[in-house]
Amino acid sequence: MPRIQDIGAFTAVRESGMAKLVPQVPRIAVGMGTCGRGNGAEGLYRAFAETIDRSGMNVVLASVGCFGACFQEPLVNIRLPGLPLIILHRVQSNDAVRILHELSRGNITNDLAYCKVEEWDHITAKLKYGRGYPEIPLWNDVPFFKGQKKIVLRNCGFINPDDIEEYIAVGGYQALYKVLIDGRPENILEQIKASKLRGRGGAGYLTGNKWEFMAKAKSDQKYIICNADEGDPGAYMNRNEIESDPHSLIEGMIIGGYVMGATEGIIYIRAEYPLAVHRLNRAIEQAREHGVLGDNILGRGFKFNIELVEGAGAFVCGEETALIASLEGCAGRPRPRPPFPAHKGLWGKPTNINNVETWYNISPIVTLGPAWFTETGSPKSSGTKVFSLVGKISSTGLVEMPLGTPLRTFIYDIGEGGVNGHQIKAVQTGGPSGGCIPPEMFDTPVDYESLAQLGSIMGSGGMVVMDDDNCMVDVARYFIEFTHSESCGKCLPCRVGLNKSLRILSRITEGAGTVHHLGLLDELSRYIRECSLCGLGQTAPNPVLTTLRHFHHEFEDHIVARRCQAGVCEELALSPCENSCPLHMNIPRFLQLYKENRLDDAFVSVIMENPLPASTGRVCQHPCDSRCRRQTLDEPVNMREVHRFIADSVFFSDRYEEVLKRVLSRKLEPTGRKIAISGAGPAGLTAAFYLAMLGHEVTVYDSKSEAGGMLRFALPEYRLPKAALRREIELIERLGVKFIFNTRVGFDVPLNELADRFDSVFISIGTWRESWVYQPGTELKGVYPALLFLEAVSKGERVPIGKNVAIIGGGNAAIDSARTALRRGAEVTVFYRREHKDMPAIEEETQAAKDEGAQFVFLAAPHRVIGDKAGNVKALEIVKTTLGEYDASGRRKPVASDEIRRYECDSVIFAIGESVDFDFARASGLSLKPSGTIDVDRFSLESSRSGFYAGGDVITGASNVSNAMAYGKQAARNIDMKLMESDRWGEILPDFEFGQDPPEVPSPNHRNNGQMLAPVVRVRSNAEVVMGLSHEETLDETCRCLRCDVKVANVS
Amino acid sequence: MPQKKLSVRIDGELISAVEGQTILQAARANGKRIPTLCDLEGLTPVGACRLCIVEISGTDRLFPACTTPVQDGMSVTTVSPKLTQYRRVSLELLFVERNHVCSACVSNGHCELQAMATEMGISTVRFAYNYPKLAVDLSHPRYVLDQNRCILCTRCVRVCAELEGAHVWEVTSRGIHSRIVGDLNQKWGDAKGCTSCGKCVQACPTGALAEKGWAVEEMVKKNDNISSLVRRRGVQA
Repeated sequence: MPRIQDIGAFTAVRESGMAKLVPQVPRIAVGMGTCGRGNGAEGLYRAFAETIDRSGMNVVLASVGCFGACFQEPLVNIRLPGLPLIILHRVQSNDAVRILHELSRGNITNDLAYCKVEEWDHITAKLKYGRGYPEIPLWNDVPFFKGQKKIVLRNCGFINPDDIEEYIAVGGYQALYKVLIDGRPENILEQIKASKLRGRGGAGYLTGNKWEFMAKAKSDQKYIICNADEGDPGAYMNRNEIESDPHSLIEGMIIGGYVMGATEGIIYIRAEYPLAVHRLNRAIEQAREHGVLGDNILGRGFKFNIELVEGAGAFVCGEETALIASLEGCAGRPRPRPPFPAHKGLWGKPTNINNVETWYNISPIVTLGPAWFTETGSPKSSGTKVFSLVGKISSTGLVEMPLGTPLRTFIYDIGEGGVNGHQIKAVQTGGPSGGCIPPEMFDTPVDYESLAQLGSIMGSGGMVVMDDDNCMVDVARYFIEFTHSESCGKCLPCRVGLNKSLRILSRITEGAGTVHHLGLLDELSRYIRECSLCGLGQTAPNPVLTTLRHFHHEFEDHIVARRCQAGVCEELALSPCENSCPLHMNIPRFLQLYKENRLDDAFVSVIMENPLPASTGRVCQHPCDSRCRRQTLDEPVNMREVHRFIADSVFFSDRYEEVLKRVLSRKLEPTGRKIAISGAGPAGLTAAFYLAMLGHEVTVYDSKSEAGGMLRFALPEYRLPKAALRREIELIERLGVKFIFNTRVGFDVPLNELADRFDSVFISIGTWRESWVYQPGTELKGVYPALLFLEAVSKGERVPIGKNVAIIGGGNAAIDSARTALRRGAEVTVFYRREHKDMPAIEEETQAAKDEGAQFVFLAAPHRVIGDKAGNVKALEIVKTTLGEYDASGRRKPVASDEIRRYECDSVIFAIGESVDFDFARASGLSLKPSGTIDVDRFSLESSRSGFYAGGDVITGASNVSNAMAYGKQAARNIDMKLMESDRWGEILPDFEFGQDPPEVPSPNHRNNGQMLAPVVRVRSNAEVVMGLSHEETLDETCRCLRCDVKVANVS
Repeated sequence: MPQKKLSVRIDGELISAVEGQTILQAARANGKRIPTLCDLEGLTPVGACRLCIVEISGTDRLFPACTTPVQDGMSVTTVSPKLTQYRRVSLELLFVERNHVCSACVSNGHCELQAMATEMGISTVRFAYNYPKLAVDLSHPRYVLDQNRCILCTRCVRVCAELEGAHVWEVTSRGIHSRIVGDLNQKWGDAKGCTSCGKCVQACPTGALAEKGWAVEEMVKKNDNISSLVRRRGVQA
């Protein structure tokens, strides 16, 4: 290939490249970046090549870089002459034949199509492919690409990175040509300065200013360095840029060399990027052959050389002075600045170092000018930035967005939220040097200043998403472990400070942390940040400082409660199921005891950790299911049904009295202390059980006529037969707990009187007040709050609901109301303002309601209820909603539209949320939170009034049975601890010897679910819908457990 | 060419400095003391121990006085509650990093680390001790290298390279595992490059490098000799 020395030769190359890029025959291009290869792109390429060989088709086959949508790899783009470029996704090798076959007939494989490109702006040139395929979405209508602006990634996924001609075809080296012909480097410098381009490596220093220092420095020799030592965990922008489009980097560097008066360029690249190194070497070679690199570039007399140096993978070598030391053959250790590299850099000569991505912005700015560049981005941070969006997020990949785009857009619009509906907890920007940002701050625009304000940095562009399965203490520990092992050891704060930080964090994750550690960690982190020599140390504490700031409660959980909510810190959890259980039941233990045919032991194990095992066995939200490791094999162990079976087997058999004696024998000696409990719901009953067990004299007050609270009066008979609940309450009575019914604490018995008569008071009243929205028509006859309706039905009262019932809401109360109404022969329609997946109700319940014939109308909010002359409900008007922005819960906010619809109905049941009636707490000395709940210490549950404790819905707002019980348990332990001034909890808990051998081969059987009555049968009666497991099924379930609780296995 | 005179404020007091001087040099030239450990007059400053951090008006960052050049009109604060706190943390970290058992050390009573701790009133540390298992190199006929007492100030590395020109000492490994090694990680006695001049021993601020034959408390270093040697020879750092 002759060297290009004039414009004619340049144009010829350009045309030759264009013929390859947009040929007159079909073209197939396989995405062959590292990400594509990892997903099988090489095999796919071979499959295409072989098929083409065999069939002799006239098709151009090319390999290109990556288009950015990593979660859709392997990506292939295909194009027929004159028609749009179609991007196919998740293409497998066995699709190759089919794709080619369709292509030969002038068709494309629609089922594989991801999106289409009708025209593409390469910035340095525009390419029109053609129009067509109306059924396939345009690339920027696909959620992942919506709003993306590809300046840096302008050529990625389109051109063959191994072919300089294709790069020249899309306007490559034209900017360089223009600069060389113009012959006035100072003009270009002015343009770069005016563009306000900032360094994309992380620090965000103005590139123009950096270039100016260097241009002004006088020396016989100057160096230009490209920093491609990308080392942040979770960041791979630079790798992809180089793999997909190496010539843009070379062109940027040559222009830089010309402007700054340097003739030597060095690309310092990680040796761990073999493909990038390979492609870059090819590109440099081709550039030399074509006369765009080396002596007399493009015939304009400028000389510039580029050398590639492979770094040995030390993270600190990303720091510029350490990088220079590494280039000089020394150990990669930074040195203090000044002198800055622009004065004294490589071999003591003026040196300019820019990040890969900075160089990619140079030719677009030179081509279209600074004014065009500053149009994009925010005033202080112009242009775009490429981010690698990875971690616990649905859509992962490389995202190029204008600077200043809110974080929310990245997470929810482009990334499409958490995986499988998980809640996103934090985003870590900037890798180990950045910080963790909580969802409350997702409105923050992503630019240098805004992220710095939150204690994070933009860094090189890593964006690691974390969800509720991540422990933030462990995340902080992980990043410190990384920076600690990458610290060069030169300066003391980084060398020893990080070592001590790591030790403290490790102690906390092991459950050996103290409150004192938190202060020490904070002080140490600030010290390291302010005193370290280089950027590594100065930013290394950011993950700790931000998690301490935004996730302080998680540190407290680890230290005070010795709990890791996410279940990551192994020392703090027995097993994932135990950790997720609000009551922290030793689930593997009762499974194993039952497996060993020790029903009585299993029952004692269950009841001592969960005093309402039959009720929770039916209605618990079973968080254990979602954590069970068995689901990596098939489905989770049905732990809830097992403890229901164990409880039922004892409660409804002649063994009851005998087992009961065993339980009662665990009761401690009477202490003479008196405790009052207000509210006989799940929280109150649980507290009563444990306090009685601990030997105290317990009196429970309740405003209703029976114990059980929501379990008794809100949960319908078909979900929870009252006979089971009565057995459980009977056991608590037999423990000596006294119940006083039809008495309202705060009215019938003043709180002060309780304070006089009792040593301690536990308040656990429920959320019986419906959050009433006063809309027109709510005063009509036939409008009911859900809980009043359910309570009346459970008492056997007559509630006229008519034939057509409208239910408003999407929680469990709504579904319970719907199914109860169905059982009374009504036609039921449920209206919910969001979508099905956003419903807080238990999914099985929703499904059961559907099976029983309930209709669901989603995206519908109540507008008004219309009545007839007699004041009875006649119809409901709803307003259709659309989903708007994401809120802090990760769900889209419903926004009312203009569309109003009318539904004829005879009654309307509102189930839109419940709250506590706090009239009792007036003048009680209990301080309330703004949300209207009692303010208590998170760990002791003691309120602002000494001796008064609260737990359950009264402190959290409406929640569920097991959460309420967990508070009852926690309160009982703390009340006892304060009254008796010692922790006696362990004395009542039983201890069992049981098998500690995990199954050698996991049981092959699938999950046993309780049989359900057929919808047509059950809707006619109040009989329990879910029938429990049989003995054989229960035994089978217990054998499915993998025994995660066994930490050390006996290997025989 | 006469050097340009600059006026600088240190702790409120106006002093005159010469262009090219570091804050530490300017302070010392005016009789002001800033705590240091890795610095030794005459050797290239490295900014490793961070004890000499100072505040400079107009910025909220901290700067090491030993490597930051003075600028005209600069106002430097060398003592503040924050600086004292951070210097104390630095010393605590040095004590927990390795095994500094003064009662069994030849340099007890003549140790710069010990003196600094006494000056700062440090009697206890809040961090857990590392207690690393480190070797003592007794292979040299006249000198001892005790890694347990080393604070990685690299004075030995610099004095050997810059003054003696022997380049025996270097730092190997990284992070918390960093260690001083002779030649290519050989025993000191086998290091062919060593001239046995003993400058490293005199430069060492603690008992890490010492002469053989001294008992506890008996090793007194003469690192002034090194500074005066530099001045006499006119070696420019």
